[in-house]
Amino acid sequence: MSFLKPQTHIEKGDIVILYLSVNSMHAIEAVPTILNKKGETIPHIFQTPYGSLKVESIIGVKYGSRVELSKGWAHVLQPNPELWTQTLPHRTQIIYTPDISMILHQLEVRPGAVVVESGTGSGSLSHFFLRALKPTGHLHTFDFHDLRATQARDEFRKHGLESFVTVYHRDVCNLGFTSELDGRADAVFLDLPAPDLAVPHAFKALKLSGGRFCSFSPCIEQSQRCINALSKLGFNEICSMEVLQQENVVKTRTVPVIDLEFLKQPKSSSSEATKTPKELKKYLTSSNPQVLPGHTGFLTFATLPPNIAKT
Amino acid sequence: MATPNIQLGDYIIIQRQKYTKLQKFGNIDATAQLGKEQLELNALLDQPYGSTFKMCVKESKAGKRGAQRQHTLKLCSETELRDIRAVLGISSSGEDNRDICDNGEAQALKSEDIEQLREECNESSKIIEKLVENSKTFHTRTEYSQEKYLKKKEKKYFEFVQIRLPSIRLMADIFYRQDAEKVMGIRVDTLSQIISYSGVCGFGNYLLYESGTNGLLPAAMLNSIGAATEATLVHMHPGNVPQKQALLALKLPLEQQQRCISVNLYSVLREFYQGEALPPIAGESSSLEDAVPESLATEPNSPTEPTSKKPKLDESECTNRSPLRWQLENKRACALMHAKFDCLVMAAKEHPSSILQALLPLLNSSRPIVIFSTCKELLLETYMELKTSGKVTNLHLTSNWMRMYQILPNRTHPEVNMSGNSGYLLTGYTLSSAEKTQE
Ligand SMILES: C[S@@+](CC[C@H](N)C(=O)[O-])C[C@H]1O[C@@H](n2cnc3c(N)ncnc32)[C@H](O)[C@@H]1O
Repeated sequence: MSFLKPQTHIEKGDIVILYLSVNSMHAIEAVPTILNKKGETIPHIFQTPYGSLKVESIIGVKYGSRVELSKGWAHVLQPNPELWTQTLPHRTQIIYTPDISMILHQLEVRPGAVVVESGTGSGSLSHFFLRALKPTGHLHTFDFHDLRATQARDEFRKHGLESFVTVYHRDVCNLGFTSELDGRADAVFLDLPAPDLAVPHAFKALKLSGGRFCSFSPCIEQSQRCINALSKLGFNEICSMEVLQQENVVKTRTVPVIDLEFLKQPKSSSSEATKTPKELKKYLTSSNPQVLPGHTGFLTFATLPPNIAKT
Repeated sequence: MATPNIQLGDYIIIQRQKYTKLQKFGNIDATAQLGKEQLELNALLDQPYGSTFKMCVKESKAGKRGAQRQHTLKLCSETELRDIRAVLGISSSGEDNRDICDNGEAQALKSEDIEQLREECNESSKIIEKLVENSKTFHTRTEYSQEKYLKKKEKKYFEFVQIRLPSIRLMADIFYRQDAEKVMGIRVDTLSQIISYSGVCGFGNYLLYESGTNGLLPAAMLNSIGAATEATLVHMHPGNVPQKQALLALKLPLEQQQRCISVNLYSVLREFYQGEALPPIAGESSSLEDAVPESLATEPNSPTEPTSKKPKLDESECTNRSPLRWQLENKRACALMHAKFDCLVMAAKEHPSSILQALLPLLNSSRPIVIFSTCKELLLETYMELKTSGKVTNLHLTSNWMRMYQILPNRTHPEVNMSGNSGYLLTGYTLSSAEKTQE
């Protein structure tokens, strides 16, 4: 349930983020028992590098608390789309927070918005759409992979979001977004291998009063074909961009400052001239990591202006 | 969400091709200045947002730098927006540009002739047609360079403007393009991430400290809070009155506007800790209507020392009248401060440390904090302080790289210029204090 609204304490059935360190986070379900492979009910024990956690013990605990593991400790955080994106079970490639933020901004998603998305994939982006449009809007998300659609539907239900989303199992390039959605969408988002094939369907799904469109694609050729399709149908404000986020790693560095001045003087005659202690200076620094994400995808945005005849 | 109509008092966005401008449609005689063109806005009244209007020359005055033209606006249908290239029917084009010499004599029409043309014909396509007819080089240009020439002329003589309803997206662009300082240098990618990391949405109570973004940051948060939801924003600012231009321009329903509680930082903290209500420095009401800056060029609120100025209202005046607006807002804010917030967003011109120290205890645990600064060094210090305090986890200091692309058949490349400074974000999640973990 814990995705619906801010909550102070862990309730039974919540998804909880077990935070061990920046590089180690896990999403766990706060249930006292689980079924093992043989179908028997067993206590829910979660294993970490710092020992095990008896999951029952965290129910009722305040979010943000420290919890003891058998060989250490961790923090329990309430999940949200950012943390979920970092811990979710990957069923496909997913989109991450920096691109997603730009998508939400450019598509002008806010409570009440009706958004059409394809493909659902692992639901990373869907969770952000849902947070932004609930409780008065609706997300219609499409994937032609049956299992992914089913898993996404289950996840949204577990997360308490099912009343704001409809998951469709459907090939949108060939079949479109269903005629019920004609003229209903404020925004359409595509993350598909052939977005250009879905553009005419996006055009139909957008409201007569106009709306916003976005396609995310790893390759520039996909964007080119997509833009071609968009211009033919009368979309305007077409623009493409890349957004990459850089981490700045903060470190205090202690650097020695060496003295070279004494070299100008002849060796001190007095034998007691000992080495002066090296001077050390402390600096608060930041630097980018050795390896950074260099490419995620090209984001193409467009506007469907109002009152374009859709025959 | 039906498209609303343009009303008096609205902020509107005027768009001419790619150029956009935020303008107040304050009264029926209001005009807008677009370069050398002055537009009379009266024809906009009651027309739906998104409509396109044709600029019709009413009079033309000789000015110091060319003619100043006054235009009336005439509503036009979308079909009137024809593809200018189709109208002109460009045919023959040269192989390359070897025969073109731009010696300024390529155009046979004199500037007086062109000026007269502009007054005589109302359509840019006609003017451009004449220009092309009288151009000695047009037909020797390559198709690409013809297109470029037409684009340039079209830009100059384009006679249509579109009126759009202000949105966060459009305003963020306008403000940043006009002067990034106006929004404290918060670039669009960074703005979008502030909204994501803060988790602001239709549920919860959110806290923002901001020292002057022309209302863009509170507007973006209130926009994400949404109409007819239960969430609330407490917007703390250091000045006498909050900057609210972007908030007013959004045209949000009153119930939503009222869920943005703007309070002076000093005044509300004093009341919170001492239960004593002192007016914000100038004793000004912070109501929306009073805080309207008419022009874009508002001075940023300068931080004010609470001790340096005396409250202007004396006690007796306060007790005689019903509580003032700011007193009510302070009360509402204090109640929420006691109940604790679900995120903290800060964009401070001051050092973030002391403000953070004052505001961090007002947050629930397991809640995001997002601190913006254009200056990395300030956030480095704050990062270290937070890290050693153990009150916040998952600390990240990030910045962004954003590149726009020109995507055209056989002419795809990144744009020649890009913005070099996204600003920095320090993000993390609050932890429950040690004692409380034991419960
Ligand atoms: C890269 S994934 C989307 C990831 C998603 N944006 C996320 O952040 O989790 C692409 C998805 O599109 C689906 N897909 C591909 N072609 C499709 C089509 N024609 N109709 C519907 N779904 C399609 C695939 O099954 C896959 O799950």
